[in-house]
Amino acid sequence: MSQMNPLINRILQNIEKVMIGKRNVAELSLVALLAEGHVLLEDVPGVGKTMMVRALARSVSAEFRRIQFTPDLLPSDVTGVSIYNPKELEFQFRPGPIMGNIILADEINRTSPKTQSALLEGMEESSVTIDGVTHKLDRPFFVMATQNPIEYEGTYPLPEAQLDRFLLKMRMGYPDLDEEMEVLSRAEKRSPIAELQPVIDLEELRELQEEIQNVIVDDTIKRYIVDISHRTRTHSSVYLGASPRGSIGLMKAAQAYAYMHNRDYVLPDDVQYLAPYVLAHRIILKSEAKFEGITAEDVMARVVERVPVPVKRLVK
Amino acid sequence: MTEVKKKHETMVTLFLYLLGFLLLWEWLRPVDELTNTGNIYIFLGFLFLCLAISFSKIRFLLGALLKTVYILYFIHYYYFEGSFFQFSWFSQFLDDFILNISYSFQMEWTALTFVFRSLLFFILLWLMAYLINYWLIIRRQIFIFFFMTLVYITVLDTFTPYEADGAIVRTVVVGFGVMGMLTFQRLVEREAIGKGLASIRKWGLPLFIMIGASVALGFGGPKAAPIWPDPVPYLTSYSEDSGAGAGGQRVGYGTDDTSLGGPFIGDDTVVYETEVDQRHYWRVETKDIYTGKGWEVSSSDDPIPFTQNEVFPISSFNQEGLEVKELTANVSSVRNYPHIIYPLGLKSVSTENISNSFRVNEGLEKVYTLEGGRTASLEEYTVSYDIPRYSVTAMKATESLEASGLSQEFLYRYTQLPETLPQRVKDLALEITGEQKTWFDKARAVEKYFGMNGFTYDQMDVAIPGAEDDYVDQFLFESLKGYCDNYSTSMVVLLRSVGIPSRWVKGYTEGEYQGPTESGKRGYTITNNNAHSWVEVYFPEVGWVPFEPTQGFSSNVQFNFDETSQSSTDVETPETEEQPDVKKPETPEETVSSESSFSWKGLWDNIVAGMVEHWKKGLLLLGIMVVLAFIAYKLRLKWLPYVLVLVFRFRKKDDDFSRAYLALLKQLDRYGIKRKDHQTLRDYADYVDFFFSSKDMGTLTSQYERYVYKGKLEEGCWDRSRELWENLIKKTIA
Repeated sequence: MSQMNPLINRILQNIEKVMIGKRNVAELSLVALLAEGHVLLEDVPGVGKTMMVRALARSVSAEFRRIQFTPDLLPSDVTGVSIYNPKELEFQFRPGPIMGNIILADEINRTSPKTQSALLEGMEESSVTIDGVTHKLDRPFFVMATQNPIEYEGTYPLPEAQLDRFLLKMRMGYPDLDEEMEVLSRAEKRSPIAELQPVIDLEELRELQEEIQNVIVDDTIKRYIVDISHRTRTHSSVYLGASPRGSIGLMKAAQAYAYMHNRDYVLPDDVQYLAPYVLAHRIILKSEAKFEGITAEDVMARVVERVPVPVKRLVK
Repeated sequence: MTEVKKKHETMVTLFLYLLGFLLLWEWLRPVDELTNTGNIYIFLGFLFLCLAISFSKIRFLLGALLKTVYILYFIHYYYFEGSFFQFSWFSQFLDDFILNISYSFQMEWTALTFVFRSLLFFILLWLMAYLINYWLIIRRQIFIFFFMTLVYITVLDTFTPYEADGAIVRTVVVGFGVMGMLTFQRLVEREAIGKGLASIRKWGLPLFIMIGASVALGFGGPKAAPIWPDPVPYLTSYSEDSGAGAGGQRVGYGTDDTSLGGPFIGDDTVVYETEVDQRHYWRVETKDIYTGKGWEVSSSDDPIPFTQNEVFPISSFNQEGLEVKELTANVSSVRNYPHIIYPLGLKSVSTENISNSFRVNEGLEKVYTLEGGRTASLEEYTVSYDIPRYSVTAMKATESLEASGLSQEFLYRYTQLPETLPQRVKDLALEITGEQKTWFDKARAVEKYFGMNGFTYDQMDVAIPGAEDDYVDQFLFESLKGYCDNYSTSMVVLLRSVGIPSRWVKGYTEGEYQGPTESGKRGYTITNNNAHSWVEVYFPEVGWVPFEPTQGFSSNVQFNFDETSQSSTDVETPETEEQPDVKKPETPEETVSSESSFSWKGLWDNIVAGMVEHWKKGLLLLGIMVVLAFIAYKLRLKWLPYVLVLVFRFRKKDDDFSRAYLALLKQLDRYGIKRKDHQTLRDYADYVDFFFSSKDMGTLTSQYERYVYKGKLEEGCWDRSRELWENLIKKTIA
């Protein structure tokens, strides 16, 4: 790929001081951050999900909050609660952890649906309503949720409809041998995360988010995006294909990705790269397909392979 | 659920094996019919066993054991005595096996025993069964085998007595069925779609209907007639050595006339070029024994040698009854025939090489050329000969055998007829000649008989006499259709029936007139189409006189009607020299009309004839153009880049950049660097650059990307990138 936007490059380099490898995860997280979406990280514990989010939050000098989801967590534990202040004779609002800029929602599938939806509502509306009062959330508002795919006992898997709220879903994956060696060497000393300096402030981040909307998405590319979405709906293994919201998400993500790569227009390459991350968690497979071991990622790979890349300008 | 699915899959597999078995069966059916392989069902059973073993997925070793036992059991059953389990036969079998192996190394194929052949055949079938299994179950592709089966059947149908009418229908049904099923299987595997019974039905029903409909259509629809005559009768007669019941097609001049009949195939190959003073037929040989099917030659004496200076040892004329004019003619032979062609009345032959000599076979009157005692072919030679002008008066002097004064031996030889000749032929001969007194008039009557009485000249639809038929009888009374062999043979037989000595002559007509030559003679070319046969009748006073019974031919024999009153008008043989450019009619339909008066109909006929001729030329031209276009298409990789470079050199607008880029994509595709549909331009450009180890494609592509995906074309970008573009196009030429 061509050169990166210098600002973006700085953030990535900053993250890399802490994270070894995983550049693609860092990149994709930035895509979601810039496109004002949210990320669902699906992986086993201990591969560095939290570290990732913390490094990102520190690089941006944003307010970082972490919510550890448990079965007994209440919605008010997430959003905040109004407490009666006897001194002033009135209810006083005490904001919950959702009132931050970068939020790590750890093991989101372990809490009750009620509590999950409190967070998801906040993600969707950028505001929370408590006791009839609507509290606007600060911008940028970026949630990175993690879930553990292997535990089923005592979990509440996110309903498919709610998965749609996440712009991207991805896995961390294990580091390879060399990378893991490096991880060990670094763990001997004190973690460098404390020394991480912010390279971009909130104001700059907001500006970036604005600028991304100026990245050109030609009709040719829009058509390509829509073609891909359509293909997921007609695929024989798919019960429910990607929604138009999915198409929008793909376009926004592609804009962010193009911007990160110092381009003011989107390429089919961007769309191709992002499509599995943006769309795979939005399609529901038929149960036959699941029995046969086909995954949504397989379907997305097939779909991308089947949709021809536009090489001529779309003539209307 | 998976249980049910598995069951369906097994059903499909079983069905595939069944169809495979049917296809293989089609290979075995002709074996039964065409060879003397008995008990073909044993082999069929073996095939069935092999496929059943493959289907049931028995372990390889167990399967092989089962097959071996089957083979041994049946070999024992058919070839050996005693009980199967005594195994004493087995040592015999081994000895036989070793013996045959040694035969194989010595290539003594005919010595192989039947036991060994059966064993080999079993092994072959084993291999075939394995291949079928491989194609059906692993490759999922059967087209090649299906195609080979079709070729096998059609070839057998064409060249052997095997009638594949049913086989072709069966094969098409089975083949399409199996290909349809396999396509379905491949789709299922590739697309990972459900394999339920419903989808099998969805696929199978249209397949079934389509095969049924197409077979019914093919079966019921009209079929074009074969474009060449069935070669089987010819092949069978060829392999049977003699003319027992069949003749064959004939092309040009050949030496074997023992079984006449069948179509005469046209052939434009030029065989001789001649320079003559006046046209005449060219002889090669003559035959005297009619067998009822064709011609043979009576046992010939030793050939008579003669040199260039000597006079040709056989004389055809008695000088008293004719005038002669001595002429010479030059012949150049295009084909390497060891014999020469010569006109009746040959006196001597000369060549440039004085060492050449000749020998003539007295019975055949065929002249072979020799060089240093061995037969050789001459490219050029000159013949000098006497052109006769027969006196009709002299010829008319002979009225009966007794009066002819010819030797018994001579008469026996030239009035020979087979005993099997039907009586009605002799009756007909008497009927035709009954009113005539002299031999000459009788010969003329027979010659003219063929001009009327419903005979037609036909080269294609010519009967082949069956085992019980007589060639002449069939022509005279049944078919009435034929070419020169039919006419000339019939005339000889009819004349011999009334006791007139005559013989059958083979050679060429004068050929096609080509215009005057440098030496002032007349040039002709003789092709295989000019191969001809005619009749010579012997008159004691003059010698051998040619007659031409075949419709549409004239031999240009000159008669001297010195007789005073005798109706000279009814003998219309031309006295004068023939018109300079008469195209010899090959078929009676093509009569040359010398009408000079203008008529609209004539004009119309000319136009139609011209159209017909031009239609052929037009077709030829079209054909050539199609071929050229095809070649150009095939070679487009070589010339198209130059054209592209040239075309785009004159395009200055930036708009043309996108066209040029797309043209480049196409050209690269033709060159063999294919872009997959889902491959992005950037990805492809990397690949192309890697391939050519350059950076041109990447640079060009990023410009093009800006155009397609951003909608902006930088000014002057085409001018700047033209060079890169040309570089890339040129790289595809190498």
